Amino acid sequence: MESSESVQRGLKLLADPCVFEPRSFSVMLDVCFRSVLVAPGDASVLDHPELKNLDQILVKQSHTAVVTFVLECVKLNTDKSTLSSCLEELSFSAERIEIFHNKLVSPVHALFCNIICLFSLGRRLPEINDVSWRLQYQIKSAQVDKVDEPFYLITLNTEVNKEAESSEDVNFSCTVEQLQDLVGKLKDAAKSLERAGQM
Amino acid sequence: MLLVLSEQHKGHLSFLSTVEPEVVAEFGRITLDFLKRGTSPKIYEAAARKLGVSVERVQCAVEGLMFLVLESCRRTLSDTDFLDSVLVLGFSQDLNNTLLQLYLQQSAQVRSVLAQLAPSLPVYHSLEWRLDVNMSSRALRQQLCPIITLCLNLTSGDASGKVCKLLQARPSTLLHLLSVLEKALDAMKSNHSRRILRNIK
Repeated sequence: MESSESVQRGLKLLADPCVFEPRSFSVMLDVCFRSVLVAPGDASVLDHPELKNLDQILVKQSHTAVVTFVLECVKLNTDKSTLSSCLEELSFSAERIEIFHNKLVSPVHALFCNIICLFSLGRRLPEINDVSWRLQYQIKSAQVDKVDEPFYLITLNTEVNKEAESSEDVNFSCTVEQLQDLVGKLKDAAKSLERAGQM
Repeated sequence: MLLVLSEQHKGHLSFLSTVEPEVVAEFGRITLDFLKRGTSPKIYEAAARKLGVSVERVQCAVEGLMFLVLESCRRTLSDTDFLDSVLVLGFSQDLNNTLLQLYLQQSAQVRSVLAQLAPSLPVYHSLEWRLDVNMSSRALRQQLCPIITLCLNLTSGDASGKVCKLLQARPSTLLHLLSVLEKALDAMKSNHSRRILRNIK
């Protein structure tokens, strides 16, 4: 795993017991995970009483470095030995490596990093979230009398991008036979999904 | 239910009784052709030259015939109702039967054309699907995330034709979609729906 010079510098600061005492080390890591998971882009996460008496420039440098490093670890699904050797090179003590690793692999952190931060990044097709339907009966129109046909109006609620929260609905109508066709095809898809799951 | 023809319409159609039965049959063919593809002044001119009458006369007769077929199709007249409606024109029995054949021959097709004219949402045409597994992306390596990619083909009501919507769904969403849409189909079979279908006829 490679990291840039500024990230290495920031991590070395965090490893240095003269800059971060054991207590503030732990607080600093918590703050970094907080800013990744709960409050992205919120500058006030650094206003922690434990970090008040430290040099704010150093705090910011190591904060940026840790956040970058954590995201990179999650992205590559880094295992413990790689992480350890990486941190050892940056003069982390064995105890601090252990704490770092535990925070990184704690289920809550790993899961949220995956889902919230990284999974939704990048281009993808609009994703269907929900569907709503209405059954109507057409009696006549300006052009044709005695139509007398039931039909469905279907709306697929889709979501284009999680960050932008933009959504676009797909509306269409179909007859009963067409809906049966649609449901039949979705059933096929669900069956093959189930079969694939058993492999 | 009878069709009520206006005096003007009767006047336009009266031309049909003055020509040979073959000509009426030919007019019928032209009428159906025009209903499908739109009118063409050249055909009017050619027919007018052949019969030795004015172009307006031919045009009014053919368009009168078109209107007669359209209105009858719109109301889905029965055979007897159609014959009773054209009775007021005072045509011969043969001519009336020719008109009836013309109407019966094409009523299904004309009705489907008329139904397309109504304003409507895009209509479902077909669905294609594909099962994918996301394995890796720039932002996240080593994923294992099954996803269903759907291609929904819709026919839009206006002239723009077919639309293809590409969408994706997660497995759990797919199962949710299925259960919701199956409920929609069940609604058709409910007593409430059946009662309505039976009574609006």
